[in-house]
Amino acid sequence: MSADTKIAELLTELHQLIRQTQEERSRSEHNLLNIQKTHERMQTENKTSPYYRTKLRGLYTTAKADAEAECSILRHSLDKIAEIKSLLEERRIAAKMSGIYNENDPPRKTMRRGVLMTLLQQSAMTLPLWIGKPGDSPPPLCGATPASSDYVAKQGDKVAARVKAMDGDEQWILAEVVSYSHSTNKYEVDDIDEEGKERHTLSRRRIIPLPQWKANPETDPEALFSKEQLVLALYPQTTCFYRALIHTPPHRPQDDYSVLFEDTSYADGYSPPLNVAQRYVVACKENKKK
Amino acid sequence: MMSELKDCPPLKYYDFKPVEHVKVCPRYTAVLGRSEDDGIGIEELDTLQLELETLLSSASRRLRALEEQRQILTDWQDKKGDKRFLNLGKGTDLSASSRLKLKKQKLDGKGSHGPGPGRPKSKNIQPKLPEYETSEEPQDPPRNPKNDAPNRFWASVEPYCADITNEEIRVLEELLKPPDDEAEYYKIPALGKHYSQRWAQEDLLEEQREGARANDKKKSLMGPLSELDAKDVDALLKKSESQHDPPEDGCPFGPLTQRLLQALVEENIISPMEDSPIPDICGKDGGNDGAGTSPRSQGKSFSVPHTRSLEARIKEELISQGLLDSEERPGAGGDSEDEILAELHKRQAELKALSAHNRSRKQELLRLAKEEMRKQELRQRVRVSDNEVMEGFRRIMAARQKKRTPTKKEKDQAWKALKEREGILKLLDG
Repeated sequence: MSADTKIAELLTELHQLIRQTQEERSRSEHNLLNIQKTHERMQTENKTSPYYRTKLRGLYTTAKADAEAECSILRHSLDKIAEIKSLLEERRIAAKMSGIYNENDPPRKTMRRGVLMTLLQQSAMTLPLWIGKPGDSPPPLCGATPASSDYVAKQGDKVAARVKAMDGDEQWILAEVVSYSHSTNKYEVDDIDEEGKERHTLSRRRIIPLPQWKANPETDPEALFSKEQLVLALYPQTTCFYRALIHTPPHRPQDDYSVLFEDTSYADGYSPPLNVAQRYVVACKENKKK
Repeated sequence: MMSELKDCPPLKYYDFKPVEHVKVCPRYTAVLGRSEDDGIGIEELDTLQLELETLLSSASRRLRALEEQRQILTDWQDKKGDKRFLNLGKGTDLSASSRLKLKKQKLDGKGSHGPGPGRPKSKNIQPKLPEYETSEEPQDPPRNPKNDAPNRFWASVEPYCADITNEEIRVLEELLKPPDDEAEYYKIPALGKHYSQRWAQEDLLEEQREGARANDKKKSLMGPLSELDAKDVDALLKKSESQHDPPEDGCPFGPLTQRLLQALVEENIISPMEDSPIPDICGKDGGNDGAGTSPRSQGKSFSVPHTRSLEARIKEELISQGLLDSEERPGAGGDSEDEILAELHKRQAELKALSAHNRSRKQELLRLAKEEMRKQELRQRVRVSDNEVMEGFRRIMAARQKKRTPTKKEKDQAWKALKEREGILKLLDG
């Protein structure tokens, strides 16, 4: 299969990139060590002579160039990974469409709920972290940054979809985009939980695309939802989104949000804090309470 | 001890640490150790991604820190000895170390959070990331706009605080000269013809043109008659012009005389007299003329002397009899009927007041500007003498450093500079 060959090629390229990364890093290591030594010497001497200043400036400039090169090659590697993953994704969609499953991808019909949950968690964890160069601001769909108004989710993208259940109640479910019709402005989506096996056709107002990057709390905290903000969050161990308030935003890139779900079974109307990954927290548009 | 520290050192040390990939990035390290043939497995991508993200995060933070430190060094060199920059350096040290703490936590956290290396079901859907590279911009530009804002602000304020120049004084003086066209606005144009007369005249001309056209057609038939027509129109025109002047309007007597006479003789005497001449004249003119011409030709024939004095005399008499208000007629009465003239007078008065006010403000401004110029000069001198004082101070300090008492000359100079400066300051305050 050509896709397989392509993936194998990309993996080899990735391997090379990783080696180059390490070369780059070893190269800058020496200079960083030099800087460290200079710092130490300067600290012990307790003063800064023009000689040190000039030297340090030279060292900084070199180290900066090194860091730039390192960042660049790391981004390159990450792009490569993303490329491979998108190929895998294409293959998965194609397989799903044709109804054929290979052995790497066991039929999801038989997937147990626990497995699905694990997959969802993993997918949340490996959502790429957005790391901008100095001065860049986070792109749309990074953390809490919403998509642009004319954004159209691609096939296979995960979204929150507002559907009418059998009993007539409206519910936000986790779904996957099958197609989008520009003429009717409607999405076709699949319920991610295939036990439902339902395909829904929904207007774009009923679709919220999930973030495609994690925001880095250390560098771009403004791209996260803030405390007390009303959101829709995926309730743990389910595939449904419910209204919740942010309890605490994440502090580190791999952290989850801690949220309080609206829940009338508790005295104060909110559940105790629960963790939800950045990937499964989206802005809540409607203001009226259900 | 902090105060003695240089601006940046610890930061570099910290940023260097996370590079220990052997501990922090096991999968990355493992991949490095592999030969080309072993390659990378698809199932390893997720872990690798997390580790590479960790490395990238650290590298970009190092990049930022380096840029920051380099900037501090540069700034410091520009303004060496400036204490504020020492403080700034300290500040960044602190933030850097707190950042380090975060980083450590993150790395620790990563260990527990990270997926086990062997988790194979990596069929997670990863949205494509096509824009990693293109969304980046060169990182230098942001720094410039940051520094630009205050400059722009000061530039916008500058005109209001700048020294006053001779040029500006000259412009003010220029403004104080009365404009050449000032008299233009106080002229009152002569009264034109009354609109009813002008319209009548225009109507006549119109008719004349039409008549001429008609005449062109019958010229051959009625040559003499058309000539007569032209004469006729001329006469009419003249009449309408002369009508404007009442005393000569067919009657040599003044208006009061006429009114008085009318009041006295209305009933019987006038009518028979008028009856007879009108048919007479009509007959004389051959009936061609309009009726309007007849009184005029009649009036012209009169020539009565002393009509003016008669009018004055009658007026005097009427006033003394209490039949006429003495000031009813002249000047003001006539003006009050002329709305346009009244409006003109009003606006001119307004203009006069306004320009007088403007002139006084301009004069005040000029006075202030001149005073400010004087002060500016003084301030300039203060600056010069400030420098002299500093010079003296430096010399004396230099002497002290060399452990010798300052010479008399140096002392004298310093005192002189100080006194001079004080004198100027007094002048400035006074």
